Amino acid sequence: MNPLEENELQMTRRELIFNSAKCLGGAALGSLMAPGLIAARPKTNALGGLAGVPHFAPKAKRIIMLFFSGGPSHIDTFDYKPVMRSFHGEELPESVRQGQRLTTMTSGQKSFPCVAPMFKFERKGKHGTWVSELLPHLGAMSDEITLIKSMHTEAINHDPAITYILTGTQQLGKPSFGSWISYGLGTENQNLPAYIVMISRGSGAANQALYSRLWSSGFLPSKHQGVNLRSGKEPVLFLKDPEGIDRSLRRRMLDGIAKINEEQFAEFGDPETQTRISQYEMAFRMQTSVPDLMDVSKEPKSVTDLYGKDAAKPGTFARNCVLARRMAERGVPFVHLFHRGWDHHGGLPGKLPKQCRDIDQPAAALIKDLKQRGMLDETLVICGGEFGRTIYSQGKLTRTNHGRDHHGRCFTTWVAGGGFKAGYEHGATDDHSYNITRDPVHINDLNATLLQQMGIDHERLTYRFLGLDQRLTGVEGAKVVPQLVE
Amino acid sequence: MRYGTLASVIIALVSSGVLLASEKLPDTIQFNRDIRPILSNNCFLCHGPDKGRRKADLRLDLATEAKEVIVPGKPAESELWARITSSDPDERMPAKGSKKELNSHQIALIKKWIEQGAKYEGHWAYIAPKQSALPKAKMKWGRNSIDAFVLARLQVNGLKPSAEAAKEILIRRVTLDLTGLPPTLEEVDNFLKDKNQNAYEKVVDRLLATKAYAERMTLHWMDVARYGDSSVHHADGPRTMWPWRDWVIDAYDKNKSFKDFTIEQLAGDLIPNATHSQKVATGFNRNHGTTDEGGLIEEEYRVEYVVDRVKTTGNVWLGLSLECAQCHSHKYDPISQKEYYQFFAFFNNNADKGKQSRGGNAPPMLDFVPAGKLEKQKSLDAKIKQADQKLVERKKQARPDFEKWAVAAAKKIDEKPVEPAGLFAHFPLDEFKDRKTANLANEKTEAKLEGKAKLVSGKFGGALRIEGNGYVDVKGIKLPEWNQAFSYGCWVKPDAANANGAIFSKMNEGNAFRGFDLWLQGGAPGTHLIHQWQGNAVKVVGKKKAKTKQWSHIFVTYDGTGKAAGTSVYLDGKKLAHNIEADGLSGTLQTPNTFRIGRRSNSAQANKIEIDDVRLYNRVLIAAEVAALAGNNPIAPLLAIAPENRTAKQRETLLLYYLNNIDGPYKKLLSEKRGVETELAGLNKGKVTTMIMGDLSTMRPTYLLQRGHYEHPKKDEVLKPSVPAFLPPMPKGAPNNRLGLAQWLTRPDHPLTARVAVNRYWSLLFGKGMVKSVSDFGTQGEWPDHPKLLDWLAVDFMKSDWDIKRSLKQMVMSATYRQSSRITRDLLAQDPNNILLARGPRFRLQGEFVRDNALAVSGLLNRKVGGPGVKPYQPPGLWNEVSLSGNVRFKQDSGISIYRRSLYTYWKRSAPAPSMTIFDAPTREKCMVERPRTNTPLQALVTLNDPQFVEAARHVAQRMMKEGGLTPKERVEFGYRLVTSRKPRPMVARILESAFNEELENYKKNLEAAGKVLAIGDSKRDEKLNAAEHAAWAIVASMLLNLDEVITRF
Repeated sequence: MNPLEENELQMTRRELIFNSAKCLGGAALGSLMAPGLIAARPKTNALGGLAGVPHFAPKAKRIIMLFFSGGPSHIDTFDYKPVMRSFHGEELPESVRQGQRLTTMTSGQKSFPCVAPMFKFERKGKHGTWVSELLPHLGAMSDEITLIKSMHTEAINHDPAITYILTGTQQLGKPSFGSWISYGLGTENQNLPAYIVMISRGSGAANQALYSRLWSSGFLPSKHQGVNLRSGKEPVLFLKDPEGIDRSLRRRMLDGIAKINEEQFAEFGDPETQTRISQYEMAFRMQTSVPDLMDVSKEPKSVTDLYGKDAAKPGTFARNCVLARRMAERGVPFVHLFHRGWDHHGGLPGKLPKQCRDIDQPAAALIKDLKQRGMLDETLVICGGEFGRTIYSQGKLTRTNHGRDHHGRCFTTWVAGGGFKAGYEHGATDDHSYNITRDPVHINDLNATLLQQMGIDHERLTYRFLGLDQRLTGVEGAKVVPQLVE
Repeated sequence: MRYGTLASVIIALVSSGVLLASEKLPDTIQFNRDIRPILSNNCFLCHGPDKGRRKADLRLDLATEAKEVIVPGKPAESELWARITSSDPDERMPAKGSKKELNSHQIALIKKWIEQGAKYEGHWAYIAPKQSALPKAKMKWGRNSIDAFVLARLQVNGLKPSAEAAKEILIRRVTLDLTGLPPTLEEVDNFLKDKNQNAYEKVVDRLLATKAYAERMTLHWMDVARYGDSSVHHADGPRTMWPWRDWVIDAYDKNKSFKDFTIEQLAGDLIPNATHSQKVATGFNRNHGTTDEGGLIEEEYRVEYVVDRVKTTGNVWLGLSLECAQCHSHKYDPISQKEYYQFFAFFNNNADKGKQSRGGNAPPMLDFVPAGKLEKQKSLDAKIKQADQKLVERKKQARPDFEKWAVAAAKKIDEKPVEPAGLFAHFPLDEFKDRKTANLANEKTEAKLEGKAKLVSGKFGGALRIEGNGYVDVKGIKLPEWNQAFSYGCWVKPDAANANGAIFSKMNEGNAFRGFDLWLQGGAPGTHLIHQWQGNAVKVVGKKKAKTKQWSHIFVTYDGTGKAAGTSVYLDGKKLAHNIEADGLSGTLQTPNTFRIGRRSNSAQANKIEIDDVRLYNRVLIAAEVAALAGNNPIAPLLAIAPENRTAKQRETLLLYYLNNIDGPYKKLLSEKRGVETELAGLNKGKVTTMIMGDLSTMRPTYLLQRGHYEHPKKDEVLKPSVPAFLPPMPKGAPNNRLGLAQWLTRPDHPLTARVAVNRYWSLLFGKGMVKSVSDFGTQGEWPDHPKLLDWLAVDFMKSDWDIKRSLKQMVMSATYRQSSRITRDLLAQDPNNILLARGPRFRLQGEFVRDNALAVSGLLNRKVGGPGVKPYQPPGLWNEVSLSGNVRFKQDSGISIYRRSLYTYWKRSAPAPSMTIFDAPTREKCMVERPRTNTPLQALVTLNDPQFVEAARHVAQRMMKEGGLTPKERVEFGYRLVTSRKPRPMVARILESAFNEELENYKKNLEAAGKVLAIGDSKRDEKLNAAEHAAWAIVASMLLNLDEVITRF
């Protein structure tokens, strides 16, 4: 849809603010219109999204994406095999690597010694899923999640990989997942943005860069862009009334502005003026609804206990998980948490435990909390990064230290709720966790499947841009993976 | 009248789909308007140009092929008709899996089309535009040709144009459209007073002559050109491309024709004798995102950059999505994958690399000379030419002196010949006292042995043997400039046949190897002369090696031209053939690093090499002089030959030797010239560089990349640059490179370029293009609302030499543009989207202009033009939240810099200014020809709460109090006029006045709150003004800045 059509779409949304007395007959009005003037006009659904979306009955109403930026090691967390211990320190066989391209950080390395995790693993849950000792809380949740061990991407560096997984292509300029949801589904809460982003820093390592494009609406109208809720005094930019202007004064100002705008509407008759009046009202309501959302002081102690002591600190991943649940309760359809610091080229045994400590309890708590409130069934919680890491060491392997380079050929992502199979492991990799041996799931396949759970046919949620019906899942023919869901 | 009721009727009807079904079919079906869009969107994917995807061997994009399934005149006998209406889901087209569906209106159109003979037309945009005769109208209306077309269309639809907008509205509209700034009250008053016929035209002419016009056009072009002050990928580090942005401002200001605008930006570097400014222009295609990521594979990104340039060129000039054919032949437009890569080949010879910089510009780049200095540069260039001329003259005039000298010199032939003149450094390296050694040419320099090195016996006396970490460090040597001749060399004795290292150097490895060295590479002598490795450098290496364990004389002469061709390498007095490894130097060689013998500053140790008698000269030594230094004195034998027996070449050698070494006047001229050269180089020494396009000297072969992947070139065929076959061929005689491509784009029968350009200008003034998909004129693009008008304007644009100001003036002078934007009941019913143009356009200002407008009316706006990006207010932490390793902090500028126009706001593309992106500004990571235009609550929060706007409101209030008169009524009127150019209607004035009275009472009771409101922003307020009153007026002003009519142009 082009910007003009978007304008038309807004006009249809304005239906809400007009009364519908004095109808002319449809046929009479139709004949007034010149041919070609109103072809293919899109319509809206009840939530302000596209008419006809969802395409079919959804299993889930919302998505909470826990995104670990930098590329967490799948080997040291979920995709472990005891046999790794047997070839620890040995060269990666060419039969495994198969000439695959490496990043230039290790392509010049002369030796590629395999590294078994320097952590203990235990089998958890009814299927005996191997889980690292670094993730005790998540391990305990393994019967609640779908663990996909056969995720893969073509990208091998951060910037393209993270752009790819969140927008469906490595090229820039495409809308992020959350923007598509906002555009397609709309939102039931008109007082909060439909797509909310929160960022926390990792305590284990330096942080790879992020880019506002990762929550950008690309070519979609900017009202679908992710709104970054920040931990400071002003969670939404420009949310606070200026010093010296209190709420009642702000109310009086808006009333005055609205009256003058009404005059302007009476004079020029542009429906856009009416929209502006209602947007100012929504801004006013957001000034209350956002602080209310962010105020966790009324959460019972049992909740903060559940998420861990970090939950008391604004800006932490734990606090963001608590907020994510509150947003879910308020009907925000897409919540996107970035946690940084997962890029462990060196010093992995020291860095990874700290990173895991940041996220383990809060992520598990989020699942539990949603479940105890009866919301997990209708909420998709996705957890993973942009790629995995290599079995071989980047840099020197010592008794206590090593690094791992980027690895896109396989990595692990897990999903809870929203109709995904609880306690299910999907796909498998070889002994070196290097190649997929069963049921590969491309990143766009997972996105297609997530959309399906939201009631969206990923091939039909499109937007015409530069001559192409663009979509989240790219042009390479992504497929829904039916085995992942109930 | 109330409009809501009517709008709701339409909306209800539209959403119920009633209108779609009841919409009338046109009497005559036009393939391009009515049918092609249906076929393109629903059928071409499987029955179109892409062979790979084609099903059932059927093409519907070509009439000849489609006749298999279409019987003209007979839908019932046409397979096509049967298939799109079949009730069998397996038969019905579009096929189930395609997720496409035809609605009943589309099916009816196709039926009628077949009934009327199923005529195909070539895609309209691929046929060169022709100017049709102006339509004759029944009613008298209009001011120029545009209006004739618009009126004709209105009359067909039974509509009448609207009256002209009120003068106050009109001047505000045209001022905002052409400059992005509001008119001042004085400008409004002057226009109101001016009762002349051409009063409006005078305004338009005045506006088009302002710098603000150039800035406004530049801002649009910055979206198109994906301009940013940072590099986008990975670290998103800083770069300086503002010289390019200022070039654009200047181009619009001087009204450079769109043709030259195109050629210079796409290929300025390839124009013969390209000027500085033409090179700066090519920064257009260096604006795209680049990466510095550690693990990247260079070729992957180099290809990515070429892909971006192809995409941008396609979107911007052709209005085509060429990029779709990167991985497979285009699904909708007739562009094969091979043609894509042939187009790609124009850009594939790029000298810039895959891995670029995270800390500044990456080569190729240019030392930027600001416009003010350009004149000076020209005059110095002229002086150098004059100096050359004088040298040539002196050479002629010196004949008699030379003859005299030659006779005298021949008599003294036994004597040692004169040392070549111009020696500025000479290290015999014979002895080291307290580790110090002498520079015989300049006693002031200090040369000291550092680390371990051995003194050995040399070619003459002692010599230095580099071993371990030893080298000689020399302070006080100043290198010549890149544009000055110099020569240097010494004796060397390497242990190994393939010895490597810097024999001597003055180089800063940390600053892209700036400086120079004398170099052994695999035993062969060579040199680096580097401004920035390797885009701005000369490197040549001789094709012969120095002998091992014997003394060889190696020497380099450089003539100051910046070219490898001007650089010679000698071995034992003989000039060597050489390999060129870098060819193009145009920036200073100066570095703070010391001159070092035996290494570069920190690297390239000349290990196990003995060095003796290092010499540097400030001119090009002639071959005979070099030979003399190498011990084969050729001058003496020449002198020994009787003058009448000398060959011309021998005479020339002697003459040059005489001139450079003996002739006083000639030597004086040389030294004068050198002074001018130094001055010239000094001009270029400013820290600012700008990235430019550059091509490799040897063509990089282009292959088709299978699936668009850099790793899978189809190497069985090298593709030459060429343009797609469905468009006109390259102009005769045009070079087959970017320059030829740019000439092709602007050839007068090109079907796309002019249409795409005028459509873009139209969209700036009317809020949308006549072709609504402004960057897609392909078969998936929109059918133009006014095809004949578009073509007329396009041809007119070309005929008038691509004159941009003229084109814009034509549009704003039209009666169509000048109509009132009032939406009447009839108009809203008949043409809700104003496609027929029975009223003037009305739309929200773009984000930058919302801010600029507030700054302008408040009087805060700083009108400085050009220069580096500035950093106005921004909420804290935004950069750091996303930055690599979290240590990039935004530091706000202070003083009047924060009140510059928004196009100068520093654009960090991973975290661009939120007050702009909230108003739909793109991140500019990719080319964006048209922005969406939304209306959101976050926008309200910006104009209500952003300190920039609160501060502006305070200044508007101050102006109301100081300039607006004494009574609240007068002040309200002044303020309202300031922001809207009109007088308030009584009702509006009452609302504002009572708001003032109420808030005055409140602030009087709460002076602390008043103080707080007035303290927002860096600027000072006039303390003489009563605080409560000022605060109350600031509230009124803030309301004004938030009015719909203030952030809208109407």
